[in-house]
Amino acid sequence: MALTITCPICGKRSGYEFRFGGEDKGPPPQAAGLTPAAWCDYVHRNNCVAGVQKEWWCHRQGCGTWFSIYRDTTKNLEVAGPQSEDV
Amino acid sequence: MLGRGKRLWSRSKRLKSSYDAVIIGGGLHGLATAYFLATRHGMNHVAVVEKRYIGFGGAGRNTAIVRANQRTQENLPLYKEALELWPVLTQELDFNLMFYNCGNLNLAHSEAALKAMRLQVASAQFHGIDSRLIDPKECKELVPALDVSDRLRYPIYGGMYHPPGGIVRHDAVVWGLASGASQKGVDIIQGVAVTGIGVQGGRITSVETDHGTITTPRVLNAAGAYAAAISCEMLGMRLPISVLTIQAMVTQPLKPILHHVISSGTYHCYANQTLKGEVATGAHMDPWPNYTTQCTAHYIKHQAEALTQLLPCLKGVKFMRAWAGLADMTPDMAPIIDGNDPVRGYYLDCGWGYFGFKSCVVTGKYLADFMASGVCPQILRPFTGRRFEQHRLMGETPALVHYSPDN
Repeated sequence: MALTITCPICGKRSGYEFRFGGEDKGPPPQAAGLTPAAWCDYVHRNNCVAGVQKEWWCHRQGCGTWFSIYRDTTKNLEVAGPQSEDV
Repeated sequence: MLGRGKRLWSRSKRLKSSYDAVIIGGGLHGLATAYFLATRHGMNHVAVVEKRYIGFGGAGRNTAIVRANQRTQENLPLYKEALELWPVLTQELDFNLMFYNCGNLNLAHSEAALKAMRLQVASAQFHGIDSRLIDPKECKELVPALDVSDRLRYPIYGGMYHPPGGIVRHDAVVWGLASGASQKGVDIIQGVAVTGIGVQGGRITSVETDHGTITTPRVLNAAGAYAAAISCEMLGMRLPISVLTIQAMVTQPLKPILHHVISSGTYHCYANQTLKGEVATGAHMDPWPNYTTQCTAHYIKHQAEALTQLLPCLKGVKFMRAWAGLADMTPDMAPIIDGNDPVRGYYLDCGWGYFGFKSCVVTGKYLADFMASGVCPQILRPFTGRRFEQHRLMGETPALVHYSPDN
Protein backbone atom coordinates (compact mmCIF):
# COMPACT_ATOMS: atom_id res chain seq x y z
CA MET A 1 0.00 0.00 0.00
CA ALA A 2 2.32 2.61 -1.22
CA LEU A 3 0.09 5.58 -0.60
CA THR A 4 1.60 8.92 -1.46
CA ILE A 5 -0.19 12.18 -0.89
CA THR A 6 0.49 15.59 -2.38
CA CYS A 7 0.65 18.23 0.30
CA PRO A 8 -0.14 21.71 -1.08
CA ILE A 9 2.99 23.05 0.63
CA CYS A 10 5.48 20.17 0.79
CA GLY A 11 4.54 18.29 -2.40
CA LYS A 12 4.32 14.54 -2.84
CA ARG A 13 5.22 12.66 0.36
CA SER A 14 4.74 9.22 1.95
CA GLY A 15 1.20 8.59 3.18
CA TYR A 16 2.52 7.69 6.63
CA GLU A 17 3.44 11.35 7.22
CA PHE A 18 -0.22 12.31 7.00
CA ARG A 19 -3.26 11.85 9.15
CA PHE A 20 -6.55 10.92 7.57
CA GLY A 21 -9.16 13.41 8.72
CA GLY A 22 -12.32 11.73 7.45
CA GLU A 23 -14.52 12.02 4.41
CA ASP A 24 -14.79 15.65 3.31
CA LYS A 25 -18.17 16.63 4.73
CA GLY A 26 -17.87 20.37 4.21
CA PRO A 27 -18.42 22.95 6.94
CA PRO A 28 -20.19 21.82 10.15
CA PRO A 29 -23.97 22.31 10.29
CA GLN A 30 -25.36 25.52 11.81
CA ALA A 31 -25.76 25.31 15.59
CA ALA A 32 -29.23 26.85 15.48
CA GLY A 33 -31.89 24.15 15.22
CA LEU A 34 -29.32 21.36 15.10
CA THR A 35 -30.85 17.96 15.97
CA PRO A 36 -28.90 15.07 17.53
CA ALA A 37 -29.57 13.06 14.37
CA ALA A 38 -28.13 15.77 12.11
CA TRP A 39 -25.08 16.19 14.33
CA CYS A 40 -24.53 12.42 14.44
CA ASP A 41 -24.80 12.37 10.67
CA TYR A 42 -22.07 14.99 10.38
CA VAL A 43 -19.76 13.57 13.03
CA HIS A 44 -20.09 9.81 12.69
CA ARG A 45 -21.80 8.69 9.50
CA ASN A 46 -19.87 8.03 6.32
CA ASN A 47 -20.61 7.22 2.70
CA CYS A 48 -17.88 4.54 2.71
CA VAL A 49 -17.47 4.90 -1.06
CA ALA A 50 -15.76 2.01 -2.79
CA GLY A 51 -14.25 4.24 -5.47
CA VAL A 52 -13.16 7.86 -5.66
CA GLN A 53 -14.02 10.03 -2.69
CA LYS A 54 -13.07 13.50 -1.46
CA GLU A 55 -11.39 13.43 1.90
CA TRP A 56 -9.62 15.57 4.48
CA TRP A 57 -5.96 15.04 5.31
CA CYS A 58 -3.47 16.76 7.57
CA HIS A 59 0.29 16.79 7.04
CA ARG A 60 0.86 15.83 10.65
CA GLN A 61 4.56 15.01 10.45
CA GLY A 62 5.23 17.92 8.14
CA CYS A 63 3.86 21.41 7.79
CA GLY A 64 0.58 20.71 9.60
CA THR A 65 -1.66 21.93 6.78
CA TRP A 66 -5.19 20.63 6.40
CA PHE A 67 -6.36 20.05 2.84
CA SER A 68 -8.62 17.87 0.68
CA ILE A 69 -7.70 15.31 -1.93
CA TYR A 70 -9.56 12.85 -4.10
CA ARG A 71 -8.49 9.24 -3.54
CA ASP A 72 -9.63 5.95 -5.02
CA THR A 73 -10.37 3.71 -2.01
CA THR A 74 -10.31 0.56 -4.13
CA LYS A 75 -6.79 1.25 -5.40
CA ASN A 76 -5.49 3.34 -2.51
CA LEU A 77 -4.18 5.98 -4.91
CA GLU A 78 -4.55 9.72 -4.94
CA VAL A 79 -6.35 10.69 -8.12
CA ALA A 80 -6.46 14.48 -7.91
CA GLY A 81 -4.22 17.02 -6.27
CA PRO A 82 -4.86 18.88 -3.06
CA GLN A 83 -7.28 21.71 -2.57
CA SER A 84 -5.98 23.67 0.35
CA GLU A 85 -8.61 24.62 2.90
CA ASP A 86 -8.93 28.34 3.62
CA VAL A 87 -7.91 28.79 7.22
CA MET B 1 -10.03 -39.78 -5.21
CA LEU B 2 -9.66 -36.09 -5.83
CA GLY B 3 -12.88 -34.48 -6.91
CA ARG B 4 -14.90 -37.59 -6.11
CA GLY B 5 -15.78 -36.58 -2.58
CA LYS B 6 -19.32 -35.62 -1.73
CA ARG B 7 -19.87 -31.90 -2.09
CA LEU B 8 -20.31 -30.12 1.21
CA TRP B 9 -23.05 -27.94 -0.22
CA SER B 10 -24.91 -27.86 -3.47
CA ARG B 11 -23.17 -25.59 -5.97
CA SER B 12 -25.59 -25.82 -8.84
CA LYS B 13 -28.37 -23.91 -7.12
CA ARG B 14 -30.22 -21.59 -9.46
CA LEU B 15 -31.65 -18.41 -8.14
CA LYS B 16 -35.41 -18.70 -7.55
CA SER B 17 -37.67 -15.73 -8.19
CA SER B 18 -38.76 -15.37 -4.58
CA TYR B 19 -37.54 -16.20 -1.08
CA ASP B 20 -38.75 -15.65 2.49
CA ALA B 21 -35.42 -14.02 3.24
CA VAL B 22 -32.38 -12.98 1.23
CA ILE B 23 -29.05 -12.68 2.98
CA ILE B 24 -26.45 -10.47 1.30
CA GLY B 25 -23.00 -11.89 1.93
CA GLY B 26 -21.83 -15.49 2.19
CA GLY B 27 -19.57 -14.79 5.10
CA LEU B 28 -19.85 -16.32 8.53
CA HIS B 29 -22.56 -14.00 9.84
CA GLY B 30 -24.74 -14.58 6.79
CA LEU B 31 -24.22 -18.35 6.75
CA ALA B 32 -24.79 -18.66 10.50
CA THR B 33 -28.03 -16.68 10.29
CA ALA B 34 -29.22 -18.82 7.37
CA TYR B 35 -28.32 -21.97 9.28
CA PHE B 36 -30.24 -20.91 12.40
CA LEU B 37 -33.22 -19.65 10.37
CA ALA B 38 -33.47 -23.10 8.78
CA THR B 39 -32.76 -25.24 11.84
CA ARG B 40 -34.43 -23.25 14.63
CA HIS B 41 -37.27 -21.52 12.84
CA GLY B 42 -38.12 -23.81 9.94
CA MET B 43 -37.41 -20.98 7.49
CA ASN B 44 -35.56 -22.79 4.75
CA HIS B 45 -36.82 -20.78 1.83
CA VAL B 46 -33.76 -18.58 2.24
CA ALA B 47 -31.01 -17.50 -0.16
CA VAL B 48 -27.49 -16.50 0.74
CA VAL B 49 -26.23 -14.34 -2.13
CA GLU B 50 -22.47 -14.00 -2.37
CA LYS B 51 -20.66 -11.89 -4.97
CA ARG B 52 -17.42 -13.93 -4.88
CA TYR B 53 -17.36 -17.29 -3.08
CA ILE B 54 -18.27 -18.14 0.47
CA GLY B 55 -15.52 -17.37 2.94
CA PHE B 56 -13.78 -14.99 0.51
CA GLY B 57 -13.85 -12.01 2.86
CA GLY B 58 -13.20 -11.70 6.56
CA ALA B 59 -14.35 -15.29 7.16
CA GLY B 60 -11.22 -16.66 5.56
CA ARG B 61 -8.84 -13.83 6.45
CA ASN B 62 -9.17 -13.49 10.21
CA THR B 63 -6.59 -15.04 12.51
CA ALA B 64 -9.12 -17.42 14.08
CA ILE B 65 -8.85 -16.13 17.64
CA VAL B 66 -11.90 -16.45 19.88
CA ARG B 67 -12.31 -14.96 23.35
CA ALA B 68 -14.86 -13.48 25.74
CA ASN B 69 -12.88 -10.94 27.76
CA GLN B 70 -14.33 -7.80 26.21
CA ARG B 71 -14.97 -4.71 28.29
CA THR B 72 -18.65 -3.83 28.45
CA GLN B 73 -21.67 -5.46 30.03
CA GLU B 74 -23.51 -5.40 26.68
CA ASN B 75 -20.79 -7.28 24.83
CA LEU B 76 -19.64 -9.79 27.44
CA PRO B 77 -22.76 -12.03 27.55
CA LEU B 78 -22.76 -12.26 23.77
CA TYR B 79 -19.14 -13.37 23.50
CA LYS B 80 -19.52 -15.71 26.49
CA GLU B 81 -22.31 -17.56 24.74
CA ALA B 82 -20.26 -17.51 21.52
CA LEU B 83 -17.46 -19.41 23.27
CA GLU B 84 -19.92 -21.92 24.68
CA LEU B 85 -21.41 -22.53 21.23
CA TRP B 86 -18.27 -23.88 19.49
CA PRO B 87 -18.40 -27.38 21.06
CA VAL B 88 -22.19 -27.47 20.69
CA LEU B 89 -21.99 -26.58 17.03
CA THR B 90 -19.18 -29.05 16.37
CA GLN B 91 -21.56 -31.79 17.56
CA GLU B 92 -24.60 -30.42 15.82
CA LEU B 93 -22.93 -29.88 12.44
CA ASP B 94 -21.01 -33.15 12.76
CA PHE B 95 -18.04 -31.16 11.49
CA ASN B 96 -14.76 -30.71 13.32
CA LEU B 97 -14.39 -26.96 13.88
CA MET B 98 -11.05 -27.61 15.60
CA PHE B 99 -11.87 -25.46 18.63
CA TYR B 100 -8.66 -25.33 20.66
CA ASN B 101 -9.30 -23.54 23.96
CA CYS B 102 -5.65 -22.83 24.69
CA GLY B 103 -6.39 -19.57 26.50
CA ASN B 104 -5.49 -15.97 25.72
CA LEU B 105 -2.78 -13.98 27.42
CA ASN B 106 -3.00 -10.24 26.95
CA LEU B 107 0.16 -8.44 28.08
CA ALA B 108 0.37 -5.19 30.01
CA HIS B 109 3.44 -2.98 29.57
CA SER B 110 2.62 -0.27 32.10
CA GLU B 111 0.89 0.29 35.44
CA ALA B 112 -1.88 2.09 33.59
CA ALA B 113 -2.47 -0.91 31.32
CA LEU B 114 -2.67 -3.19 34.37
CA LYS B 115 -5.23 -0.90 35.96
CA ALA B 116 -7.33 -0.96 32.79
CA MET B 117 -7.10 -4.75 32.81
CA ARG B 118 -8.23 -4.88 36.44
CA LEU B 119 -11.55 -3.35 35.40
CA GLN B 120 -11.80 -5.65 32.41
CA VAL B 121 -11.13 -8.73 34.52
CA ALA B 122 -13.69 -7.64 37.12
CA SER B 123 -16.33 -7.15 34.41
CA ALA B 124 -15.63 -10.58 32.96
CA GLN B 125 -15.74 -12.26 36.38
CA PHE B 126 -19.04 -10.51 37.15
CA HIS B 127 -20.48 -12.26 34.10
CA GLY B 128 -19.04 -15.62 35.18
CA ILE B 129 -16.22 -15.59 32.63
CA ASP B 130 -12.85 -16.96 33.68
CA SER B 131 -10.37 -14.10 33.35
CA ARG B 132 -7.64 -13.11 35.79
CA LEU B 133 -4.62 -10.88 36.28
CA ILE B 134 -1.24 -12.55 36.47
CA ASP B 135 2.23 -11.24 37.21
CA PRO B 136 5.27 -11.44 34.88
CA LYS B 137 6.53 -14.63 36.55
CA GLU B 138 3.22 -16.37 35.85
CA CYS B 139 3.32 -15.03 32.27
CA LYS B 140 6.72 -16.65 31.90
CA GLU B 141 5.39 -19.94 33.29
CA LEU B 142 2.56 -19.91 30.75
CA VAL B 143 4.78 -18.92 27.83
CA PRO B 144 8.42 -19.83 28.57
CA ALA B 145 9.59 -18.23 25.31
CA LEU B 146 8.36 -14.82 26.50
CA ASP B 147 10.98 -12.24 27.44
CA VAL B 148 9.88 -10.85 30.81
CA SER B 149 13.20 -9.15 31.53
CA ASP B 150 13.70 -5.40 31.51
CA ARG B 151 15.61 -5.59 28.21
CA LEU B 152 12.40 -4.87 26.31
CA ARG B 153 11.65 -1.36 25.20
CA TYR B 154 8.33 -1.84 27.00
CA PRO B 155 8.89 -4.44 29.73
CA ILE B 156 6.04 -6.74 30.71
CA TYR B 157 4.25 -5.66 33.92
CA GLY B 158 1.79 -8.52 33.95
CA GLY B 159 -1.05 -9.87 31.92
CA MET B 160 -4.70 -10.73 31.66
CA TYR B 161 -5.11 -14.49 31.31
CA HIS B 162 -8.37 -15.78 29.88
CA PRO B 163 -8.24 -19.62 29.85
CA PRO B 164 -11.50 -20.43 27.96
CA GLY B 165 -10.50 -18.50 24.81
CA GLY B 166 -8.39 -19.88 22.01
CA ILE B 167 -8.60 -20.55 18.30
CA VAL B 168 -11.13 -22.11 15.95
CA ARG B 169 -10.42 -23.21 12.38
CA HIS B 170 -12.22 -20.48 10.45
CA ASP B 171 -12.54 -22.35 7.13
CA ALA B 172 -14.11 -25.28 8.94
CA VAL B 173 -16.76 -22.96 10.34
CA VAL B 174 -17.53 -21.68 6.82
CA TRP B 175 -17.76 -25.19 5.39
CA GLY B 176 -19.67 -26.61 8.35
CA LEU B 177 -22.29 -23.86 8.36
CA ALA B 178 -22.64 -23.90 4.56
CA SER B 179 -23.08 -27.63 4.58
CA GLY B 180 -25.54 -27.54 7.49
CA ALA B 181 -27.60 -24.75 5.96
CA SER B 182 -27.55 -26.33 2.50
CA GLN B 183 -28.80 -29.66 3.87
CA LYS B 184 -31.75 -27.82 5.41
CA GLY B 185 -32.67 -26.35 2.03
CA VAL B 186 -30.97 -22.95 2.12
CA ASP B 187 -29.77 -21.84 -1.34
CA ILE B 188 -26.17 -20.69 -1.27
CA ILE B 189 -25.62 -18.73 -4.45
CA GLN B 190 -22.08 -17.74 -5.29
CA GLY B 191 -20.86 -15.41 -8.00
CA VAL B 192 -24.01 -13.31 -7.92
CA ALA B 193 -23.77 -9.65 -7.00
CA VAL B 194 -26.58 -7.64 -5.43
CA THR B 195 -27.14 -4.46 -7.41
CA GLY B 196 -30.13 -2.94 -5.67
CA ILE B 197 -32.70 -3.29 -2.90
CA GLY B 198 -36.35 -2.64 -3.67
CA VAL B 199 -38.46 -0.73 -1.13
CA GLN B 200 -42.14 0.18 -1.40
CA GLY B 201 -44.14 2.00 1.25
CA GLY B 202 -41.33 1.65 3.77
CA ARG B 203 -41.09 -2.12 3.28
CA ILE B 204 -38.56 -4.35 1.60
CA THR B 205 -40.03 -5.85 -1.57
CA SER B 206 -37.14 -7.23 -3.57
CA VAL B 207 -33.45 -7.59 -4.16
CA GLU B 208 -31.95 -6.81 -7.56
CA THR B 209 -29.00 -8.92 -8.64
CA ASP B 210 -26.92 -9.20 -11.79
CA HIS B 211 -28.80 -12.48 -12.36
CA GLY B 212 -32.31 -11.04 -12.02
CA THR B 213 -34.76 -9.83 -9.42
CA ILE B 214 -35.71 -11.75 -6.28
CA THR B 215 -38.97 -10.96 -4.50
CA THR B 216 -38.58 -11.06 -0.74
CA PRO B 217 -40.02 -9.39 2.36
CA ARG B 218 -36.74 -9.65 4.33
CA VAL B 219 -33.17 -8.72 3.56
CA LEU B 220 -30.20 -9.14 5.85
CA ASN B 221 -27.22 -6.99 4.98
CA ALA B 222 -24.33 -9.12 6.23
CA ALA B 223 -21.86 -8.00 3.59
CA GLY B 224 -19.08 -7.36 6.10
CA ALA B 225 -16.86 -4.51 5.01
CA TYR B 226 -19.15 -3.74 2.08
CA ALA B 227 -22.28 -3.49 4.25
CA ALA B 228 -21.88 0.26 4.79
CA ALA B 229 -21.34 1.03 1.11
CA ILE B 230 -24.35 -1.16 0.17
CA SER B 231 -26.53 0.51 2.79
CA CYS B 232 -25.53 3.99 1.60
CA GLU B 233 -25.69 3.30 -2.14
CA MET B 234 -28.82 1.18 -2.29
CA LEU B 235 -30.94 2.60 0.53
CA GLY B 236 -29.36 5.97 1.24
CA MET B 237 -28.72 4.90 4.84
CA ARG B 238 -25.34 6.20 5.92
CA LEU B 239 -23.63 4.28 8.72
CA PRO B 240 -21.03 5.31 11.31
CA ILE B 241 -18.43 3.02 9.78
CA SER B 242 -14.92 3.37 8.38
CA VAL B 243 -13.48 0.46 6.40
CA LEU B 244 -9.83 -0.21 7.14
CA THR B 245 -7.42 -2.87 5.92
CA ILE B 246 -6.02 -5.15 8.61
CA GLN B 247 -2.92 -7.21 7.93
CA ALA B 248 -1.74 -10.60 9.14
CA MET B 249 1.06 -13.04 8.36
CA VAL B 250 2.45 -16.46 9.28
CA THR B 251 5.99 -17.62 9.91
CA GLN B 252 7.47 -20.86 8.65
CA PRO B 253 6.30 -23.89 10.70
CA LEU B 254 8.13 -24.42 13.98
CA LYS B 255 8.10 -26.97 16.77
CA PRO B 256 5.49 -26.15 19.42
CA ILE B 257 6.73 -23.12 21.37
CA LEU B 258 3.60 -21.08 21.94
CA HIS B 259 0.74 -22.83 23.69
CA HIS B 260 -1.49 -19.81 24.19
CA VAL B 261 -2.71 -16.86 22.15
CA ILE B 262 -0.63 -13.88 23.23
CA SER B 263 -1.42 -10.26 22.48
CA SER B 264 0.02 -6.90 23.30
CA GLY B 265 -1.71 -3.59 22.72
CA THR B 266 1.47 -1.61 23.24
CA TYR B 267 3.43 -3.57 20.64
CA HIS B 268 0.34 -3.73 18.47
CA CYS B 269 0.82 -7.42 17.93
CA TYR B 270 -0.91 -10.69 18.62
CA ALA B 271 0.38 -14.18 17.93
CA ASN B 272 -0.63 -17.78 18.20
CA GLN B 273 0.87 -20.97 16.92
CA THR B 274 -1.42 -22.82 14.57
CA LEU B 275 -1.82 -26.59 14.68
CA LYS B 276 0.48 -26.70 11.64
CA GLY B 277 3.21 -25.00 13.68
CA GLU B 278 3.16 -21.61 11.96
CA VAL B 279 3.09 -18.57 14.19
CA ALA B 280 0.13 -16.52 12.97
CA THR B 281 0.46 -12.88 13.85
CA GLY B 282 -1.04 -9.56 12.99
CA ALA B 283 -2.96 -6.53 14.20
CA HIS B 284 -1.88 -3.58 12.10
CA MET B 285 -4.31 -1.32 10.30
CA ASP B 286 -3.19 1.54 8.15
CA PRO B 287 -5.29 4.36 9.59
CA TRP B 288 -7.08 5.42 6.42
CA PRO B 289 -10.08 3.76 4.81
CA ASN B 290 -9.58 1.60 1.80
CA TYR B 291 -10.97 -1.49 0.14
CA THR B 292 -7.69 -3.04 -0.96
CA THR B 293 -6.31 -6.15 0.66
CA GLN B 294 -2.69 -5.21 0.17
CA CYS B 295 0.12 -5.73 2.68
CA THR B 296 2.84 -3.22 3.46
CA ALA B 297 6.59 -3.56 3.92
CA HIS B 298 6.15 -0.93 6.63
CA TYR B 299 4.11 -3.36 8.69
CA ILE B 300 6.05 -6.56 7.99
CA LYS B 301 9.10 -4.79 9.45
CA HIS B 302 7.11 -3.56 12.45
CA GLN B 303 5.71 -7.03 13.06
CA ALA B 304 9.14 -8.67 12.96
CA GLU B 305 10.40 -6.12 15.48
CA ALA B 306 7.45 -6.51 17.84
CA LEU B 307 7.39 -10.28 17.67
CA THR B 308 11.11 -10.69 18.32
CA GLN B 309 10.94 -8.28 21.26
CA LEU B 310 8.27 -10.39 22.95
CA LEU B 311 9.59 -13.76 21.76
CA PRO B 312 13.33 -13.35 21.12
CA CYS B 313 13.65 -17.01 20.06
CA LEU B 314 11.84 -16.10 16.82
CA LYS B 315 14.80 -14.03 15.59
CA GLY B 316 15.86 -15.32 12.17
CA VAL B 317 12.56 -17.12 11.55
CA LYS B 318 11.03 -16.27 8.19
CA PHE B 319 7.56 -15.06 7.35
CA MET B 320 6.02 -17.32 4.74
CA ARG B 321 2.83 -15.54 3.80
CA ALA B 322 1.18 -12.22 4.45
CA TRP B 323 -2.36 -11.21 3.64
CA ALA B 324 -4.95 -8.64 4.58
CA GLY B 325 -8.67 -8.34 5.12
CA LEU B 326 -11.15 -5.55 5.62
CA ALA B 327 -12.47 -4.40 8.98
CA ASP B 328 -15.54 -2.18 9.27
CA MET B 329 -14.79 -0.04 12.30
CA THR B 330 -17.40 1.86 14.30
CA PRO B 331 -16.43 4.76 16.60
CA ASP B 332 -17.07 2.67 19.73
CA MET B 333 -15.69 -0.64 18.45
CA ALA B 334 -19.05 -2.36 18.90
CA PRO B 335 -21.19 -3.70 16.06
CA ILE B 336 -24.38 -2.32 14.56
CA ILE B 337 -27.24 -4.81 14.65
CA ASP B 338 -30.59 -3.42 13.68
CA GLY B 339 -33.78 -4.32 11.92
CA ASN B 340 -37.06 -2.83 10.67
CA ASP B 341 -35.72 0.67 11.23
CA PRO B 342 -36.49 2.74 9.24
CA VAL B 343 -37.31 0.20 6.48
CA ARG B 344 -39.46 -2.78 7.52
CA GLY B 345 -37.81 -6.04 6.62
CA TYR B 346 -34.31 -4.56 6.32
CA TYR B 347 -31.87 -6.09 8.79
CA LEU B 348 -28.32 -4.98 9.39
CA ASP B 349 -25.42 -6.89 10.89
CA CYS B 350 -22.19 -4.97 10.43
CA GLY B 351 -19.56 -2.78 12.03
CA TRP B 352 -17.84 -5.73 13.66
CA GLY B 353 -14.37 -4.37 13.01
CA TYR B 354 -12.09 -7.26 13.84
CA PHE B 355 -14.57 -9.02 16.16
CA GLY B 356 -16.65 -10.61 13.42
CA PHE B 357 -15.20 -14.09 13.69
CA LYS B 358 -15.54 -14.48 17.47
CA SER B 359 -19.16 -13.42 17.31
CA CYS B 360 -20.45 -15.03 14.12
CA VAL B 361 -22.30 -18.04 15.46
CA VAL B 362 -24.00 -16.42 18.42
CA THR B 363 -25.03 -13.39 16.37
CA GLY B 364 -26.45 -15.65 13.67
CA LYS B 365 -28.48 -17.46 16.29
CA TYR B 366 -30.07 -14.29 17.69
CA LEU B 367 -30.42 -12.61 14.30
CA ALA B 368 -32.39 -15.65 13.15
CA ASP B 369 -34.72 -15.10 16.15
CA PHE B 370 -34.97 -11.44 15.17
CA MET B 371 -35.72 -12.12 11.49
CA ALA B 372 -38.19 -14.92 12.16
CA SER B 373 -40.21 -13.02 14.78
CA GLY B 374 -39.57 -9.40 13.82
CA VAL B 375 -38.84 -8.70 17.49
CA CYS B 376 -35.29 -7.86 18.50
CA PRO B 377 -33.97 -10.24 21.18
CA GLN B 378 -32.92 -8.49 24.40
CA ILE B 379 -29.26 -9.43 23.99
CA LEU B 380 -29.00 -7.62 20.62
CA ARG B 381 -30.89 -4.46 21.58
CA PRO B 382 -27.92 -2.41 22.84
CA PHE B 383 -26.31 -2.67 19.40
CA THR B 384 -28.88 -0.51 17.63
CA GLY B 385 -27.48 2.02 15.17
CA ARG B 386 -29.53 4.69 16.95
CA ARG B 387 -27.08 4.72 19.86
CA PHE B 388 -24.79 7.10 18.00
CA GLU B 389 -27.39 9.86 17.74
CA GLN B 390 -28.42 9.25 21.35
CA HIS B 391 -24.79 9.75 22.41
CA ARG B 392 -24.79 6.31 24.00
CA LEU B 393 -21.58 4.95 22.54
CA MET B 394 -20.30 1.79 24.20
CA GLY B 395 -17.01 1.76 26.07
CA GLU B 396 -15.46 -1.12 24.14
CA THR B 397 -12.26 0.84 23.56
CA PRO B 398 -9.70 0.67 26.37
CA ALA B 399 -8.08 3.93 25.32
CA LEU B 400 -8.12 6.26 22.35
CA VAL B 401 -8.50 4.24 19.18
CA HIS B 402 -5.41 5.11 17.23
CA TYR B 403 -6.23 2.78 14.37
CA SER B 404 -9.51 4.45 13.65
CA PRO B 405 -9.70 7.68 11.71
CA ASP B 406 -12.29 8.96 14.12
CA ASN B 407 -10.02 10.19 16.85
